[in-house]
Amino acid sequence: MIMRDKTDPLPLRPRRLWARILLAGPMAIIVALTLLAGMPLWLPGGAAGIDNLVFPLVFAPLIWAALFFHACLDRSITRVALVAAVLFLVHGGLVASSFMGKAAATEKTR
Amino acid sequence: MIHLKKDETKAMVAVHGWSGILLGLLLYAVVLTGTAAVFAHEIGAWSAGHVTTTSAFEKPIDATIRRLSAMTPARYREAVNLFEIGDHGLGVFFHRHELDANGTPTESGIYYQLDNSGRINRTLRGTAEEVFGPRNDDALSSFLVDTHVRLHVPNPWGLLLTGILGLAMLVAAISGLLIHRHLFKDIFTLRRRASPVLIDRDKHSVAGTWSLPFAFILAFTGSFFSFFGTIGVPVVAMAAFSGDVEALSEAVFGNPGTPDPRPVAIGNLDRITSDAIRRTGEAPTFIAIEKFGRADAEITSFHNPKASDIEPVALLYNGATATFERAKPTVGTRTSAGGTLAGIMGPLHFGNFAGLLSKAIWFGLGFAMCYVTFTGMRLWVVRRKDEARSLAWLERTLTVVGFGLPFGLVASAAAFLVTMPLGLAVYWTTAAFLIASGAAIFTGFFARSNDGLTQMLTGATGAVMIALPLLRIFAASGPGWTDAIAVGQPIIAALDIAFAAAGIWLVRGCWTAARSSTRSTSNIPVAAEA
Repeated sequence: MIMRDKTDPLPLRPRRLWARILLAGPMAIIVALTLLAGMPLWLPGGAAGIDNLVFPLVFAPLIWAALFFHACLDRSITRVALVAAVLFLVHGGLVASSFMGKAAATEKTR
Repeated sequence: MIHLKKDETKAMVAVHGWSGILLGLLLYAVVLTGTAAVFAHEIGAWSAGHVTTTSAFEKPIDATIRRLSAMTPARYREAVNLFEIGDHGLGVFFHRHELDANGTPTESGIYYQLDNSGRINRTLRGTAEEVFGPRNDDALSSFLVDTHVRLHVPNPWGLLLTGILGLAMLVAAISGLLIHRHLFKDIFTLRRRASPVLIDRDKHSVAGTWSLPFAFILAFTGSFFSFFGTIGVPVVAMAAFSGDVEALSEAVFGNPGTPDPRPVAIGNLDRITSDAIRRTGEAPTFIAIEKFGRADAEITSFHNPKASDIEPVALLYNGATATFERAKPTVGTRTSAGGTLAGIMGPLHFGNFAGLLSKAIWFGLGFAMCYVTFTGMRLWVVRRKDEARSLAWLERTLTVVGFGLPFGLVASAAAFLVTMPLGLAVYWTTAAFLIASGAAIFTGFFARSNDGLTQMLTGATGAVMIALPLLRIFAASGPGWTDAIAVGQPIIAALDIAFAAAGIWLVRGCWTAARSSTRSTSNIPVAAEA
């Protein structure tokens, strides 16, 4: 593999480009949506108890933009994928556990 | 200053170019109509000849609302929205909250449209989506706003489309900042003796850099508004309220209290409006009555931001006793960072926080954004035209859209002025825009040169603009300047002058360009003989 990289680096370039496009495009959207769903579960409610709901709604475009530019500018594509994966897993996990908790509570009530 | 490495700068230049070229034409349409829509209220008053300056809420409304309440079936008397329409008439929407066939929360009821003397002009029944549409007297301003908000594409797709355009603008603004290696030098660099491409690049760069913070704010707030109801609220409600959008709405906008469903007549609304005007110094923009006819009824009076403030004002009243309870933020029950942030998104996007002054600044900066979007696309095409001859069609398309869109907009204004007295303005405002756009596209196919096409479209736009004040006075029977100024509507005369001046400037520019091109053509044989 290393030999191929050294002798023929060109075939990898389009693949890296497509990986970057994938991370900056569909992945940035998916991760931003997951953050939008997960952030209300850990952000503090603030004085009126609504900050956890309002901040993700207001900052959603900026969150997407941050993920997009990170995918475009970070020299290490592995780091881009890692950051996206961690954010996705943490917030997706929070949402999933919240749903499971609610389902269990409903089952108990029955 | 942000210094990127060479390959990163190259990537950002590609991102900047492609974000503009892929969605630039639609973005240009959204920004141009948004720039005009900054003055939607004033354009509405100018086009329909509004001469009343007293707000509907500065006159007694209590007896009217009680009369309408008696006419309305009990099932629609759950809540009432009051707002101004037309020439300071009153819109009254008696409604109830319900779910539509898709399970989406909506409001269904009866919408009364009253003139400024309290007479019912029209009564509409249905959901909010069905009853709130353009009226004959506001068809022009509604057309502008609807084009800007959703490009006339049905919701939610129209909002999603304009939201994506907002994100593209955000990307273009941020990447535009990142590719400047010498930001402060570039702000003042306008080379006059360079090649035409470099001169155009300098102009694009200077206009873009000066309006960069504004572009960022507009793109951010615009995409927030587009995605708020279409994606944001359902996703947050799904995660935090098991998909119950009503519960989320109640948590963010509601006024928590103990329910008291005992039937009690609504308090005196005139007492509330006069108290709200006394407290804020100006008439409400909107009044919402919740739990109408119950002991726990609540009335919220919404107002524009106070002088030297940017956040709108909301006052809460006890609906049964008509007594003032407290000033509340527009979002949330108590002042909070999130509520303030959400509350200022509207004024930041619409530029209506300091009256005509902030609107004029927003209009100017919006115009700069149109220029930046259009010149950015032209630069992209011109730089590549020699490499790929097929891009000539794109340059032609840019001219058709860039100069054809303003022509379509002024044609729709002219059609509105002619057809409003006939009661046909809703149809013809849109139809005229489509006809004028079709004419621009047709001319684009057959024009001999790009410059010739530009001259034709700018000349036609200028000619229609010069005709607008005349059409307003003679076709639409609008008030003359002295009458308008006498009743406190100088904006009518101001817009007449603005249209006429812009029209003369466009026609003159077109005339000069046509003469110089004729001269240069006639000099060719002389030069050849020499």
